[in-house]
Amino acid sequence: MAKEMIAMLLAGGQGSRLYALTEKLAKPAVPFGGKYRIIDFPLSNCVNSGIDTVGILTQYQPLVLNEYIGNGQPWDLDRLYGGVHVLPPYQKANKADWYKGTANAIYQNISFIERYDPKYVIILSGDQICKQDYSDFLRFHKEKDAEFSVAVMEVPWEEASRFGLMVADENDKITEFQEKPKNPKSNLASMGIYIFNWDILKKYLEEDEADPTSENDFGNNIIPNLLRDSRRMYAYHFNGYWKDVGTISSLWEANMEVLDPEHSGINLFDEDWKIYSRKSAMPGQLISEDAVVKDAMITDGCQIKGTVKHSILFEGVKVEKGAVIEDAVIMGSSVVKAGAVVRHCIVAENVTIGENALVGAMPSGDEKGVATVGSGITVGAGAVIGPNAMVNQNVEGGGEQW
Amino acid sequence: MVNSQTNAIGIIFPNSYDVLVPDLVNVRLMASIPFASRYRLIDFILSSMTNSDIGNVSIMVNNNYHSLMDHLGSGREWDLVRKNGGLNIFPPFAEKNSKPYVGRVGALAGISNFLKGQKEKYAVLTDTNIAVNFDFRAMINAHIESGADVTIAYNEQELPESLLQSQSNGKCFYYTFDIEGGKVNKIYVNSKESGVQNFSMNIYVIEREKLIDMIEEAFIHGHEYFERDVLIPRLNQMNVQAYKCDKYIARITDLKSYFHENMKLLDEYNLNALFEGPSVYTKLHGGNPTRYIDGAEVHNVMAADGCIIEGEVENSILFRSVKIARGAKVKNCVLMQGTVVEAGADIEYLVTDKNVTITAGKEMKGTDTFPVYIAKFQNV
Repeated sequence: MAKEMIAMLLAGGQGSRLYALTEKLAKPAVPFGGKYRIIDFPLSNCVNSGIDTVGILTQYQPLVLNEYIGNGQPWDLDRLYGGVHVLPPYQKANKADWYKGTANAIYQNISFIERYDPKYVIILSGDQICKQDYSDFLRFHKEKDAEFSVAVMEVPWEEASRFGLMVADENDKITEFQEKPKNPKSNLASMGIYIFNWDILKKYLEEDEADPTSENDFGNNIIPNLLRDSRRMYAYHFNGYWKDVGTISSLWEANMEVLDPEHSGINLFDEDWKIYSRKSAMPGQLISEDAVVKDAMITDGCQIKGTVKHSILFEGVKVEKGAVIEDAVIMGSSVVKAGAVVRHCIVAENVTIGENALVGAMPSGDEKGVATVGSGITVGAGAVIGPNAMVNQNVEGGGEQW
Repeated sequence: MVNSQTNAIGIIFPNSYDVLVPDLVNVRLMASIPFASRYRLIDFILSSMTNSDIGNVSIMVNNNYHSLMDHLGSGREWDLVRKNGGLNIFPPFAEKNSKPYVGRVGALAGISNFLKGQKEKYAVLTDTNIAVNFDFRAMINAHIESGADVTIAYNEQELPESLLQSQSNGKCFYYTFDIEGGKVNKIYVNSKESGVQNFSMNIYVIEREKLIDMIEEAFIHGHEYFERDVLIPRLNQMNVQAYKCDKYIARITDLKSYFHENMKLLDEYNLNALFEGPSVYTKLHGGNPTRYIDGAEVHNVMAADGCIIEGEVENSILFRSVKIARGAKVKNCVLMQGTVVEAGADIEYLVTDKNVTITAGKEMKGTDTFPVYIAKFQNV
């Protein structure tokens, strides 16, 4: 039986700009928003849009991601026919290759896609925080009788040259593609989410593979080739919340925006578009007598005795007496010991911040750094971690890192 | 075969002691009473079985069991979806003239063919009115080592006031016993003794085949209660051993104890004691973290995920998705899932069942010795 549309989710990137956070796990597995990981967003979008078959292309540090996805049950993707499949590169009879680029990753899984004989394939990216109805995108694609559609966001003109831009006419038909141009002709930034007619995608993937000079990349190769051949290409305008969380500061910012759903547009409390995640079993959060909790999101298993302001705490975080946490993202099972002050930073999982240690600082003047402490790190008692520090090794008591 | 499973089946009686908490079981049974902000009582016993590698569990539901079926589903959260064994739910077998069970004997007699068909050597029997992270493996090992016919788990505590004063003892039995050298010498039914007693937890280990023999014989004689009609009369002929449980125990014997056992978990010492050891599993819901909006004043509170708190909360237990509006005051309350406290409401010593709404500006107060219960879906 054929599927109308299946999703291919690109989750193989290293996410090198997240440094310490992605040393041991792929970017889509980075925890987000108190009890999610980044990949929960595209997966939940798929399910909420009616897509029940998702291939996840992995390559870099896949262990955490593989275990997290498991059989796909938390997203209702444990299906008899379809469901979620993790697709690492594998050895074929005549050769074996890593995924050389985004297009090559899909090319190497043509036989996976053909098992479902889909009419359309949606290509998703595993490093964005976005709530999007892909079925509306597909409706647009069909209405335009398109062969290829790309989701675009309007960005401020002054920032346009940081993006891949789609130049489109009044019917949304794409006439030109500019990759990070000096002189932008459009402010429609590609979100890296594409719908292809499967026959077209397959044809261009095979052609691209045959070209030894190609980088095997959607943006650099496939899209220019489609344009060259004057294919029916359209730009689908998306105006909801969208954030590429590829950098420490954007990841921190997106987490902070979760705290303010009324203004930021990212509402995790929306019953009509739930974001699903794999959960652990921890008892309820305990806010003790002396605790001060203001404008925060706190998760099961946390025990709070100190002060928590404008911060997100993941499962099982312990904040001891007299500790202060402000404008911070503290990931699962980390401990902030008595008297420590943790501000304007990201602390990864299973970190211990020693007594009276000082991590990060509130922005002052041009100094807006988000200090980052990698997973499993111990910051010793009384240590000082500067606002631009990227900590990936234990810091001794009384030590400093800037 | 690799010995990854404990050689025992689990049998759970989820309706036991329903009669002690009539309000709470109006729309459910003892096993599915919400407890400790995100669990139901059965989660503790069921998780303990899973963590003791008991992978074949039967639940002898009797009445009001829809909420429990919904909670358990296929048993996936407790790792009880298995080809061999797994979770079995046995409702009373509906025939002409059939009635719900009265005691364990009738319930077990009804599944004697099932019991005969199992392969495990031992059977573990338990109720669900106690929240405890129990080590069944240790108890079974103690049973094997002592060579007992039956082993009963107990803890040392004073009998709760509610049982001492209860008028409904004709419908509800509890057991204390004398122990000598580990052996149970005498079992008392509904004792009114003051002071610390050896208080049965109604957790039993017995060889499966012995259990079948006892039950079949008792059933033929029209007996109903395993303890009163089977154990006590044979106490002299059998080796009945006592197994002392030193773990943290929350035993529900009435609404007041329900309230206080919840409240006790606000002390992190108690909370950590109850959850010490392997995880307690429960049905997982899609939910987000709990949000403390600017202006919230929260002290000494245990909350599950998905709550939105804007008002003042003190000394309270909040289950999933409770909403407390700006200007509302909540003190010494247990608010079950989906409770909404609107702006300006002022409540104290309340136990609200699921989806209760306390409308704006309402004031409602119980007392420490008499918490007020508000039934499911009520609009105050």
